[in-house]
Amino acid sequence: MDFGSLAFLIVALPVLAFVLTLAFGNRLPNGGGHIPIVAIAMSFIISVLIFLQIYPNHGTVEQSAHWFSVLNVGIFIDPLAIVMLMMVTFVSLLIHIYALGYMSHDPGQTRYFAETALFTAAMLGVVLADNILQFFIAWELVGLCSYLLIGFWFRKPSAAAAAKKAFLTTRVGDVLFLAGIVILYFNMYTHVLPVVGGHETVYLLQFKTIFENLTLIPTDQLTIITLLFFGGAVGKSGQFPLHVWLPDAMEGPTTVSALIHAATMVTAGVYLVARTFPMFIAAPESLIIVALVGGFTALFASTMGLVMNDIKRVLAFSTISQLGYMMMGLGVGAIIGAEAVGFAMFHLINHAFFKACLFLCAGSVIHAVGTNDLREMGGLFGKMKITATTMLISSLALAGIGIPVSIGAIKLGTSGFVSKDAIILEGAYSYFAHGGVYGSLIFFFGVAAALLTSIYTFRLWFMAFTGKPRQERHAHEAPSTMTGPLIILATLALVFGALTFSPFIHYLETTYENEFFEEIDPNGYIHGLAERAGYHIPEHPIVHLDLAHDTLIMMLPVIAGLLGLAISWAIYHKRMFSVASIGNMRNPLFRILAKRYYQHEIFIELISLKFTYGVLALTSEFSDRKIVDGTIDAISSFFIGGAEVLKKIQTGVVQNYATATVLGVALIALVLSWGVI
Amino acid sequence: MLPVSYYLIVSAIVFSIGVYGVMTLRSGIMIMMCVELMLNAANINLIAFASHFNQVNGHVFVLFSIALAAAEAAIGFAILMNIFRSNKNVNIDNINILRW
Repeated sequence: MDFGSLAFLIVALPVLAFVLTLAFGNRLPNGGGHIPIVAIAMSFIISVLIFLQIYPNHGTVEQSAHWFSVLNVGIFIDPLAIVMLMMVTFVSLLIHIYALGYMSHDPGQTRYFAETALFTAAMLGVVLADNILQFFIAWELVGLCSYLLIGFWFRKPSAAAAAKKAFLTTRVGDVLFLAGIVILYFNMYTHVLPVVGGHETVYLLQFKTIFENLTLIPTDQLTIITLLFFGGAVGKSGQFPLHVWLPDAMEGPTTVSALIHAATMVTAGVYLVARTFPMFIAAPESLIIVALVGGFTALFASTMGLVMNDIKRVLAFSTISQLGYMMMGLGVGAIIGAEAVGFAMFHLINHAFFKACLFLCAGSVIHAVGTNDLREMGGLFGKMKITATTMLISSLALAGIGIPVSIGAIKLGTSGFVSKDAIILEGAYSYFAHGGVYGSLIFFFGVAAALLTSIYTFRLWFMAFTGKPRQERHAHEAPSTMTGPLIILATLALVFGALTFSPFIHYLETTYENEFFEEIDPNGYIHGLAERAGYHIPEHPIVHLDLAHDTLIMMLPVIAGLLGLAISWAIYHKRMFSVASIGNMRNPLFRILAKRYYQHEIFIELISLKFTYGVLALTSEFSDRKIVDGTIDAISSFFIGGAEVLKKIQTGVVQNYATATVLGVALIALVLSWGVI
Repeated sequence: MLPVSYYLIVSAIVFSIGVYGVMTLRSGIMIMMCVELMLNAANINLIAFASHFNQVNGHVFVLFSIALAAAEAAIGFAILMNIFRSNKNVNIDNINILRW
């Protein structure tokens, strides 16, 4: 049986679940939460079946139909899409199961399950899209659902504000993305359409058409387009400087945070860059900017994670930081070519597992102690053994603890270690070794962020689970619907990376280096494109390090991770040092971090209030009210004033009219007789 | 037989008296009479040209014109009667409510 023909069901089932839950959820137990679970489980099964079908020969699934006679709508599943599909459906499924327990006391759970079903469907729509416009539509649906879910408790003013902030901030990116699509369409229309034939406008925005004809589009245009696309990714994936919405998005239920941070929403930005990777590599300048922004974000976000006291905010900053790693992994593709997609996607998948696990653990802790504040937790290990253990495992994965040796194809280490190591060593270091100008900077970002990540991750764990209980409350372990997903995710966080590293990377590589793309360039598609833009990708771009010779380089990320663990252990568990002397508001460095680099002041007060409101809005208001309205008012008042004068002619006395008639007739007679007499 | 221009001069004088009266007089009845003067000036013209060109058309027109004048007078005086009932006079100057 050809499972590819069922591909549309992957999206259709969650959409159906959304409708059914909304319509009948109130009459069902658990607010109808079982409907999306069944639908998403079936989507997951279909995804796996399609994967098993196309995996052996690296096949693809392509379906397309006309839409409004000028565009097309379709499904495109290649290695990149299928791994995303499986990850999104699987993680989303576990989070939905967990939410059955977590949301069981919430009166709005029907609305919750309906919206998360639509959220998942929108993300699956992003992944399945075969053209950039369809991608954008689903992308916007993701944004809408995130707005609804972050503001789920909309009666709380902070939640409503956070939802608005998330929506508006990502909107900045979306506008850039849309501008990129417009410029892309313009270029496709002028440069590509004459070549492929005049009637083929329907497929102009299809990824396949774009990639096949990339060489026809000028490089400088591609640079603009890809930078605008990256702007969209920056908004959605919370990269600097549009990351401000992500920590505030914690106002939603914890399961929503898990969904946003692991399976849906934020990974959409990384997926956008990965999906349009051939365009990026044809404009390598953009990729270097991607790498620099990603690396900077990784470090920048982790510094703020150090001082947060809200358990979910620490995790939010870690997400921003890890997304930075993914962007960095994609960006170094300017040197290492298509394998960059494999590294970034591998980190994305691993991150989805351990970050979903971390959030669900945090949800379990919050459920038990009833507060988000780390300072009020402590000593929970004895009371919540499953949560504590699974959280420890996923923390190890986030911090990237492992041993840099491999036994055959198996790498020894947690999944976060395997993928982060690949990005830092095979990605950033290769870039550095091949003399990329910014290589050393990116490598530094990667290692420094790894150290800080490890410190704040274990700070969180030690503060929550060890030491003396800091409040009198009978914390208890969560029910099995909640601990089950935790155990599954923690297992994956522990072993997924170690077991699947090389097959995964090799499979992902075939996305952009297969027979289909070799038609364009006999030397291999990706290399040819980069060289066209004046960039040289070396013959063996990835520097394979040897533990015997490059011990220090190879050990560097691990040392960073272990050092962070040791520092956290010394400070927050053994309490050898007191951080009170530096960790207070008198220390300028701490103040900057605790104030989150004055982002609130910069974004809200300076940009929003002073610039947008004070300058832009008031200028527009002035020009609208005084200049535009003024012109209209002047015209109308001229006619009103004129009419005021002229209307006096209408005296109402019939004789005046008669006089005017006689005079008029006399005048006409005079004029007519002018030439005659 | 008198030349046609004599008739035309008389008609023009009568017409001018009528126009002057319509423009200046205040009483509605006087204005009605001046309108009749103007109509009759036109009638004089018609008859004068009919006799001059020895045709019958002008005579027929005049008969129509007289009938029209009779109808107009009947309506006009009916209106004036109503004005008089409400205003106790027929001064046209005071009837200026249809103004700005």
